[in-house]
Amino acid sequence: MDMLELRGIDKVYRSRGKAPVHAVRALDMAVEKGEIVALLGSSGCGKTSTLRMIAGFEDVSAGSIALGGRRIHELPPARRKVAMAFEGYSLYPPLTVRENIAFALKSAQLPRAEVTRRVDEIARLVEIEDILDSYPRAISGGQQQRVSLARALVRDADLYLLDEPMGQLEPQLRAVLRGRIKSLLAERGMTAIFVTHDQTEASALADRIAVMEGGVLQQFASEKELKGRPANLFVASFIGEPPMNLLDAGVTQSDGGFRLSVGTDMAFDINGAGLDSEAAKALAGAPQVRIGIRPQKIVVGTGDVRVKVVSNQWLGDQSHVAGDCGGRMLIAVTSGRVAARPGDIVPFALEPRHLHIFGSDGTCIRHAEVS
Amino acid sequence: MARLEINAVSKAFGAARPADGLSLAVEPGEIVAVFGPSGSGKTVLLRMIAGMFEPDDGDILIGRRSVVGAPPERRGIGMAFQNFALFPHMTARDNIASGLRASGNEVASRVAAISKLLKIEHVLGHAPRELSNGQKQRTALARALIGNPDVLLLDDPLRNVDAKLRYEMRLELPNLLRRGTAAVLYVTQDYREAMAIADRIAVLIDGRLAQVATPADIYAQPASVAIARLFGDPTINLAEVSPVAEHGVLSADVAGARMRLGAADGAAPAGACWLGVRPEDLAVSSASSDGAIAARILAITPMHEKAVLLLRLADGTEWLAALPPDAPQGAADDSVFVRFTPDAAMLFDRATGLRIGASPRLKAA
Amino acid sequence: MEHSSLAGRIFRGVALTLILIFFMFPIVWIFLMSFQTNEQILRIPPRILFEPTFANYEALISGQLRTAAGNLQISFMRNLFNSVVLSSAAVLLALLLGVPAAYAFARFKFRLGESIAFTLLSFRFAPPLLVLLPLSLYYQELGLNDTYFGIVWVYQLIALPLILWIVRGYFEDISPDIEHAYRLAGHSWREAFTRIAVPLAGPGIAAAGLLSFIFCWNNFVFALILASADKQPVTVGALAFVTASGIQYGQIAAAIVLSVTPTLLLALYAQRYLVEGLSLGAVKG
Repeated sequence: MDMLELRGIDKVYRSRGKAPVHAVRALDMAVEKGEIVALLGSSGCGKTSTLRMIAGFEDVSAGSIALGGRRIHELPPARRKVAMAFEGYSLYPPLTVRENIAFALKSAQLPRAEVTRRVDEIARLVEIEDILDSYPRAISGGQQQRVSLARALVRDADLYLLDEPMGQLEPQLRAVLRGRIKSLLAERGMTAIFVTHDQTEASALADRIAVMEGGVLQQFASEKELKGRPANLFVASFIGEPPMNLLDAGVTQSDGGFRLSVGTDMAFDINGAGLDSEAAKALAGAPQVRIGIRPQKIVVGTGDVRVKVVSNQWLGDQSHVAGDCGGRMLIAVTSGRVAARPGDIVPFALEPRHLHIFGSDGTCIRHAEVS
Repeated sequence: MARLEINAVSKAFGAARPADGLSLAVEPGEIVAVFGPSGSGKTVLLRMIAGMFEPDDGDILIGRRSVVGAPPERRGIGMAFQNFALFPHMTARDNIASGLRASGNEVASRVAAISKLLKIEHVLGHAPRELSNGQKQRTALARALIGNPDVLLLDDPLRNVDAKLRYEMRLELPNLLRRGTAAVLYVTQDYREAMAIADRIAVLIDGRLAQVATPADIYAQPASVAIARLFGDPTINLAEVSPVAEHGVLSADVAGARMRLGAADGAAPAGACWLGVRPEDLAVSSASSDGAIAARILAITPMHEKAVLLLRLADGTEWLAALPPDAPQGAADDSVFVRFTPDAAMLFDRATGLRIGASPRLKAA
Repeated sequence: MEHSSLAGRIFRGVALTLILIFFMFPIVWIFLMSFQTNEQILRIPPRILFEPTFANYEALISGQLRTAAGNLQISFMRNLFNSVVLSSAAVLLALLLGVPAAYAFARFKFRLGESIAFTLLSFRFAPPLLVLLPLSLYYQELGLNDTYFGIVWVYQLIALPLILWIVRGYFEDISPDIEHAYRLAGHSWREAFTRIAVPLAGPGIAAAGLLSFIFCWNNFVFALILASADKQPVTVGALAFVTASGIQYGQIAAAIVLSVTPTLLLALYAQRYLVEGLSLGAVKG
């Protein structure tokens, strides 16, 4: 069953003397009960406007929002049964951390023992037990963010909205808290939508990620799907850290397939038998395509692509090797240490089955066979 | 060519001591990253070198000459700031050229050269407010680099640029900074940035240098548990253990399982220790065996190309495992068994937090 | 939320109009009065339509005031000149002293700094008469009574705190790193002050200068006590129209119009300049 349903949502900001800003365009999205969804994009992509429309802080310009079968887009925020954690925390300054977290529960007239139990439980989860009696101004930014998260998650709501929920967390705590929160949401079957610009956070927490750009939903899929089968060039280059290597390639037909040549330095043979008819047609009609390969798919030390090492950085658990190949930069990531210095010539292996192929308009012609 | 030398420098602001007997030398052409949690005194150190305030105690030398007491403009320092600090009423070109005292022709050619290197030739005529954050930072870097200063100070310069640009600059910066012969101090709060850019990393904790070493050494052989926790994402796993030495083998109970921690040469560490194991050094499988810790998967959070598993060990401790993408991961709520090899174990003294002896990992390497 | 109801918009329009009329009406009325004779002004009920006369302005400019009691010499143009000289000189002096002081208060923490800054501001709280009595006594001792310098000096009580506090805020808004960067580029602190801090605080300095000019211009009581007729500004000069044969409303109105015009023009000119300079974007964001 769909818990949340967005239908044809548009958001246009009009201010006098300025051109109207079309922040969200024709957005359709359905979120299942118990699902965790990330709205991911760079600033100005429309993700925060979308969240604020669901919460009720912004009107929709067009379209409808339904939550648990109720049409909510005309209701005031307080009657939508959503809980929200704000990016700026918005803690109540005159209340202690405990009172902040308990505020909504007390308004809901829960018994006092129950309130205490739930506050203590969530406080343990986000590691704020020792500051429950402090006031917001006396605690650090990271702690305030954890309190803000706790205040949202402690409530009973149909939907949990989290705006950049973990951006300010202490790096040492981040991975553990992500795991705990994901486990809590799953255990209780809570439905959550969170906004983030950090794809690491999106892929860590979310079951599905909605990638937005220019007010338009580019793709709404699991992290695996986004990486393995990106809908277009934007998603392909946006998702993945470091970003996908992208190269311009010329297309020539060869016996039983196609040959993609990148300058005179690299060439890849694509077997025609492995292509579906549409991809074959697209390749036959395109003299020029963009090919992409993920840095993690390039093998360093073997292969027939010779690159001149520009930088080789060991980060403790992985090496990032940047190499120049005929004026093009290729980045490879391996889990082992690579013994190469800037200036060395090193072979890179790029396999045709790892290539994503995009048309000149950014649409995807073929995905990598193995992701 | 001048060496930067910081000798027993201290500074106090009221009760806070952001610098407490700091000593550090940076050779010409070397990049040293000053890394530490926020509030550890990184920026204060940089600002003392730049002459924005003077140390209470100790000396700062550039090329064997003490610069304490000298005004900032006579120290031969180039600096890039976290907030860019461009002159808003000047074009990018004038910003970059502001430090040059030379003829018009020479200024023009040097500005052209440095802006080509930093790929900002097309925006030289723009005012700072017309530049993107990435362009602002490149302009600020050009301004710091153009005078070929003896000492280059970079105060978390990539903090305010977006992730993609930050990654690009991380690759580009070391080559850019090594062009001259400046001694470079690079402040950052991101351990990956420090490891990627620096020749050596100086770990600053509470106004003291906790360790100064190459990036690989710090990661593999952190001097203390606090340092081990600062390097690595996800953070290193810790467990309280009391190791015992038997038949030349050092081992300890970890959440009910007897784990080998390496060869015992000499006496076993006395009393309680922290055991540290990095998440990427854990192996997780569904099959039980000796020397495996029983655990339950609480959640799986993919990270970069890895799968990060939040595990609850038999005794309730939470550990993280970072598995390669092709490893079988299981699902949340699965019961699994966790292993690590003895050379992955690090031991730290429970009281002082310092790493004990030569780590088993060292001997294995 | 951004769209308000029709009723709301109507209410807002009506309220704004009422407020505008309340504040603008006296100004319009004074302007109209300045083109009327005393008889026209004192007629009841007053009329909006009348035959305008320039007699008031003529009298002011020629310095001859014809009243029922005979011809009276007035020195309004002299007063106007005094106002310009006194206010400009006072503001210039205050800027010269106040801008560096504001910079010092903004950038350096020194002992008693806050107390000194606050004491300077507190001069604005005290009723002028409180300081005037002792001041007039030792002005006489020092020979400052009835001199331009003496009045300019006493005007510092008005202008200096204003400039100090406004400009200090502007200096504090400039990131110190911008000046640090300029110094590391090889410039002395004086250069950093004159080439970075002052230009960046320019709009603030202009605003403070303008405000203190208006306050000096409008001051009445200092010059009334400390200066004689030939050093007095327009505010005091207007007293001359309260003659033995009655109050010369027409001339007073014309005098007010004439004396308000310079400050009004200045404000209009500077407003454009102030808005231009306010968005800088030096630091991130």
